[in-house]
Amino acid sequence: MDYGRPELAERLAAAYAAGTLRGPARRRFDALLPAHPALRDAVRAWNERLMPLTVALVPVAPPARVWQRIETRLDGSAAAATRTAPAARPALGSRLAFWRGLAGFASIAALSLAVLLASPVPVQPPIIVVLSSTPPAGGSAAPATASFVASISGDGRALVTRPLVNVGVQPDRSLELWAIPPGGAPRSLGVISASGATVVHKRQALEGADTLAVTLEPPGGSPSGNPTGPVLYAGKLTL
Amino acid sequence: MKRPAVATPTSEWAERSVDLARLLGRAGLGDRAAFATLYERTSAHLFAVVLRINRDRAQAEDILQEVYVNVWRAAKSFDAAQSQPLTWLTSIARNRAIDSLRRGQARPQIQTTSGSDSSADAEDESVYDTVADSAPGPLDLLSRASEARALAACMDQLSAQQRQGLALAFYQGLSHAEVAEQMREPLGTVKSWVRRALLTLKDCLQGAVQRDAIVDGGS
Repeated sequence: MDYGRPELAERLAAAYAAGTLRGPARRRFDALLPAHPALRDAVRAWNERLMPLTVALVPVAPPARVWQRIETRLDGSAAAATRTAPAARPALGSRLAFWRGLAGFASIAALSLAVLLASPVPVQPPIIVVLSSTPPAGGSAAPATASFVASISGDGRALVTRPLVNVGVQPDRSLELWAIPPGGAPRSLGVISASGATVVHKRQALEGADTLAVTLEPPGGSPSGNPTGPVLYAGKLTL
Repeated sequence: MKRPAVATPTSEWAERSVDLARLLGRAGLGDRAAFATLYERTSAHLFAVVLRINRDRAQAEDILQEVYVNVWRAAKSFDAAQSQPLTWLTSIARNRAIDSLRRGQARPQIQTTSGSDSSADAEDESVYDTVADSAPGPLDLLSRASEARALAACMDQLSAQQRQGLALAFYQGLSHAEVAEQMREPLGTVKSWVRRALLTLKDCLQGAVQRDAIVDGGS
């Protein structure tokens, strides 16, 4: 069957969302989804149309044991992933811990770079933050690649980011830079260029932040003011 | 046609979305507290969605557990620009629930109703009457959901049979064949009712979204 045909894609997506596509046909459709963006878009549109119908359902509180089991599963997978081979399922529960570890490494790099750059003239050296690639959800064996460098001017007025490696970003996506205070919500520093230098003038957003992160976002950046995409790069900010 | 002046389910859907998108974003960054809050706010809805399709409580609990483990793993790929969070969560729950049926562990329990032999040309009233149980039947649910203003107008454009077919398929997780059995109508007829119901809704909602955007913009 030619799933590229728009009408067929549309009809299947409707049946999929409505739940009437069943059995082998549903399984085939499930298998096709990852590789067919047009099908995914059609399903998404149908879900947006139909899912609000479920508001009519009277909520049913699940028993407490369901949440307990979920927590056990998440803790289990986090613990297992730190012990076992990196080929195992992503260490989701430990993503944050992993990130902090990565940021620790980055801060060493930041210090040495700061020294190098400080030597010529200024009274206040710029602060350099190296943002390294974050492997997809905890595959901790892969070496993190230093991918972006962010330098904050000595007076703290401007921040400049520059890619260190060839950063490939799909044309319909933007990279967004975030400043994250310990335990706080990420604050946007705006969209940054994947190919050249970007100057960011948002010194307030940097206050109290100890981590910089870059996420993949829709064109023009997150519409909500909060990160919506995956974290691609992160680094520790030491002031 | 009813047009409630207070918050309609769809506007509520959209309002809840802002908060939920933030929670999902943070869960995607590994924030377990945000994930716990997300669970608190959405699990009763998703459990209801799952239970509608798979009435086996133990299985429904397992499904719900799978759903949230999945949500935690996929949270970082959630794209708020593309989907409403509640839509995204609900569709994950529905897919899991439907998948649980295909394994043949449980067939959806068809709600037995006194008047399920309503003929094809039944009046609207009598179609609603077929739901005798105290629990809301699929058609009740459809009419409640359609208090959402855009859906209300669009539901009016469906025939009684189209509405019933869609309600059975959507809420109960019935296949075309099961809907046909339930409605005692030929499979081909039922298929075309459901399909036409979906197409009518699509066309109608596309128009309604634009109209609502104008109305909301003014208020």
